[in-house]
Amino acid sequence: MAVYTPEKPLTAAEITGPGAWWCSGCGDFGVTAAFKDVLVTLVNELGVPLERVFVMSGIGCSSKEPEMLRLNAYHGQHGRSIPVAMGVALANPNLVVVDFGGDGDSYAIGMEHFVHACIKNVNMTLIVMNNQVYGLTRGQASPTGHLGLKTSSTPEGKKVRPVNPLKLAIAAGAAFVGRGVSWKKKELAELMLRAIQTKGFSLLDVFSPCVTYHREPGYRGSGAIVDWYRLNYVLDIQEAWREMRDQVFSEEERAHLPSDYDPTSPDAALYALRLIEEAAKMGREVTGLLLVNESAPTLEEALGVSPERAPALADISVEGNLERYRKLLAELR
Amino acid sequence: MRSIQVCGAGRAGDGTNTNISMLGQVLKDLGAWAFVWREEVYSNIQTRDTAFGLRAADVPVYGPDDEFDILEAFDQGAFVDWTGEGRVPPLARLRKGGIVLYDSSPRLEYPNAGHEVRPEQVEAELKAREARLFGLPMGRMAKEQFGNYIVRGTIALGVLAHMLGLPEEAFARRFVRIFGEGSDLFRLNLEAFRAGLEYARAEGWELPDLRLPLTPREDDERQLLLGNEAVALGSIVAGCRFYAGYPITPASEVLEYMAEKLPSVGGVVVQADSEMAAAHHVIGGSVAGARAMTATSGPGFSLMQEAISAAGMTETPVVIVVSQRGGPATGLPTKVGQEDLNETVFGGHGDFARIVLAPTEPEDAFYMMEKAFNLADRYQCPVFVIYDQMFAQSTYTTPPLNPSRFTIDRGKVVAAPANGHNGRYRRYALTEDGISPRAFPGMPGIHTIYVNTNEHTEEGYITEEMVVRKAMVEKRVVKRMQLIVRDRDLPSPVVHGPADAPIGFIGYGSVYGPVLEAVQRLAEKGQKAKFMALRTIWPFPGREVRRFVDSCRVVYVVEYSATAQLKGLVQREATGPMPRKLRSVLRYDGRPMTPGYVLQSL
Ligand SMILES: Cc1ncc(C[n+]2csc(CCOP(=O)(O)OP(=O)(O)O)c2C)c(N)n1
Ligand code: SF4
Ligand SMILES: [Mg+2]
Repeated sequence: MAVYTPEKPLTAAEITGPGAWWCSGCGDFGVTAAFKDVLVTLVNELGVPLERVFVMSGIGCSSKEPEMLRLNAYHGQHGRSIPVAMGVALANPNLVVVDFGGDGDSYAIGMEHFVHACIKNVNMTLIVMNNQVYGLTRGQASPTGHLGLKTSSTPEGKKVRPVNPLKLAIAAGAAFVGRGVSWKKKELAELMLRAIQTKGFSLLDVFSPCVTYHREPGYRGSGAIVDWYRLNYVLDIQEAWREMRDQVFSEEERAHLPSDYDPTSPDAALYALRLIEEAAKMGREVTGLLLVNESAPTLEEALGVSPERAPALADISVEGNLERYRKLLAELR
Repeated sequence: MRSIQVCGAGRAGDGTNTNISMLGQVLKDLGAWAFVWREEVYSNIQTRDTAFGLRAADVPVYGPDDEFDILEAFDQGAFVDWTGEGRVPPLARLRKGGIVLYDSSPRLEYPNAGHEVRPEQVEAELKAREARLFGLPMGRMAKEQFGNYIVRGTIALGVLAHMLGLPEEAFARRFVRIFGEGSDLFRLNLEAFRAGLEYARAEGWELPDLRLPLTPREDDERQLLLGNEAVALGSIVAGCRFYAGYPITPASEVLEYMAEKLPSVGGVVVQADSEMAAAHHVIGGSVAGARAMTATSGPGFSLMQEAISAAGMTETPVVIVVSQRGGPATGLPTKVGQEDLNETVFGGHGDFARIVLAPTEPEDAFYMMEKAFNLADRYQCPVFVIYDQMFAQSTYTTPPLNPSRFTIDRGKVVAAPANGHNGRYRRYALTEDGISPRAFPGMPGIHTIYVNTNEHTEEGYITEEMVVRKAMVEKRVVKRMQLIVRDRDLPSPVVHGPADAPIGFIGYGSVYGPVLEAVQRLAEKGQKAKFMALRTIWPFPGREVRRFVDSCRVVYVVEYSATAQLKGLVQREATGPMPRKLRSVLRYDGRPMTPGYVLQSL
């Protein structure tokens, strides 16, 4: 039985699986590396027993995540990991549930579940490896693909507008909304840890470029797509806050605004939405920690389950419940 | 057997459900076996005709008879098909010499005018039936004496109590239970009841021929419950602690009962955002270690097919209740059908092990839930409990139910922290019998429970290798079904009637009562018949069915399906085509099967 102590800490090797699924250079490697760092921190420094970590995924290149790990996990069907994760989290609130999805997985076929998971505020973390394409089915456009993106299913460039998952998550009431990038491991790991520690539903959307199918004019060769993201696409929320204050907020408002963007501010949802809108006008997507708000009850709290009151651990013996059962029977006579 | 059958016919909002249900409760309290069903309910809440039926007998009854002895008419819809859509009004089922108790005052409250009961419009038919008419101005009394139109139904109860010789105390006891001792509603109803009773007494209305010989029982612990409630109750006693569902008729009562009761035993109920979500929640709950269930009907069941396949592949025990209604698509939301049998037996993509159980009546259903959950855990596969609207939404009287008869068997669960190489737990470890012990997340020292919907290795990692694939299919399906077939917990078919009877019937679900009585009626006419009610549909009890069919000259498969789905299964799994010997009694108009319907179809 594995017990991790300061003398015998958990190492990344112990939670590394046999999976070899991704093209070299795929952003998903960065996500995995960050996640392993987070796990090591959780177990070695924060005292979370490893057996309480539960990883979920759907179907896609990104959803191969549990294959890259050696952890309690459920590898589900396309778009359906979220409702399974919700079931796990509700049945045993002692577990730390982290669900990995792709942009097709979570924002197309799984959209119903994504939005409702935000609304219901189930205590889990969803990490979406957003690459604007369907990697596993060879590169068709995904719902996050930007206008004009040329793929095998959009030969003339994408004409249907993209979804913005951050706006959706904010509007639907997620407790944590953030966006990381796969090429900055340390920042990504920090976002992940914060997401996991947040009580309620956490969405961490991660730009995790597909080096094989995501093509942008003028960017060729390996690593080029990361450059495209860096140079053309992303905008850090703090930077956006500093640079766009003048455009977004009136002078009167500015007088009361802090100098740094504060994701825990009660107004963070509104500020974040305005910054996202403003960035979009320049063809940019914000990154960083947008929102942390733990004020709403979680689904677990709403339904009366807790680590001490976990349905999966409830006494189901007939003897232990006989009096209650007899009462139920007496009511139906 | 002695029984009386009453129909309360009005329009939605008239309180016919309450009226008939209360009469059923009182008759049950007085010792009868009551059965209450929805004779006519439309899939809307207001304005359509509504009729509830009550049968009360001195022996257990599991379904309606063909004719009503008493028709309570609160609306002209009891007599006529006023929309002209081809509706058959309840009057058409009044027996010769039957009673009509009607509201003789004008419709005093209702959005649609012109629905006061006017027997003169159907004089010829009433005469032909030799109906005995009793009219009293219930509406006017309700409004003028009590200022509350809805107590029309309670006034009618008072009239019936006098006519049938039912004691006031029995009603008063039920009023206390329903409205609360000393409450305004209690007093209102008791007074309205007395007004009806006094009216009938003053008029000298007596019906000695319709009185049932009843003796109340001491410590009557018999249950009075809906099929759906019996299933919900049975599942709680069986240890279900996780329920996810999406409202749908005729399965919603399971969700509602669970929502009310499950938290009190440490369970959780989540109203999902679709049946797709519900079924996947249930998989999650089960993987986490809870006994988990959902219930649905046709449209929702279609949405669950993907999850069912996942449960099969991942070897996750789940219990799925399929409460059928008339289909396809939205079909007949509030009416009976048995059109989803094929989807239950063959649905979900891919090959996997499954078990399909079919309760005949609520007592059977209650105890069957123990089997459902034990089998699911033992074989780590989806278990379906299939029935239909008539079973689901009818109220039955059952003998006392005993929770102590339940035992809980969670199947193979790891004892030691690990079962594989390097101390590593392997979710799909290949074992002698093909069943891998389960482990639940959070168990100390186990962090390699890898559940996978992809084809997988013993450890749960994806593989497409030929040898592993073949071994996994054999473990998951082939060996598993071989094991399941031999399990003594699979409910066996019950056969009623003499062994040497040349006429046979086969059926499942709510056809149980009507067919049973059809067999009895044939016997009364000197014709020997027998009935095999199937209680396990998958694995199909091929040997028993073949023997049964072999022992008959002709066999009728009775079901609510135009394409004879059950007969198709019998042929596929037991007998082959046998076109002359195997016949069908089918009903697909959404109306309940009755003994007469069965007999007249022969
Ligand atoms: C129900 C269903 N439809 C379609 C597929 C085929 N499919 C597999 S992965 C995928 C898209 C994956 O895209 P995404 O979620 O963005 O993940 P990525 O591969 O880009 O990481 C599709 C359509 C499937 N497995 N299941
Ligand atoms: S196809 Fe794209 S997303 Fe898939 S592994 Fe390769 S680079 Fe990554
Ligand atoms: Mg993608």
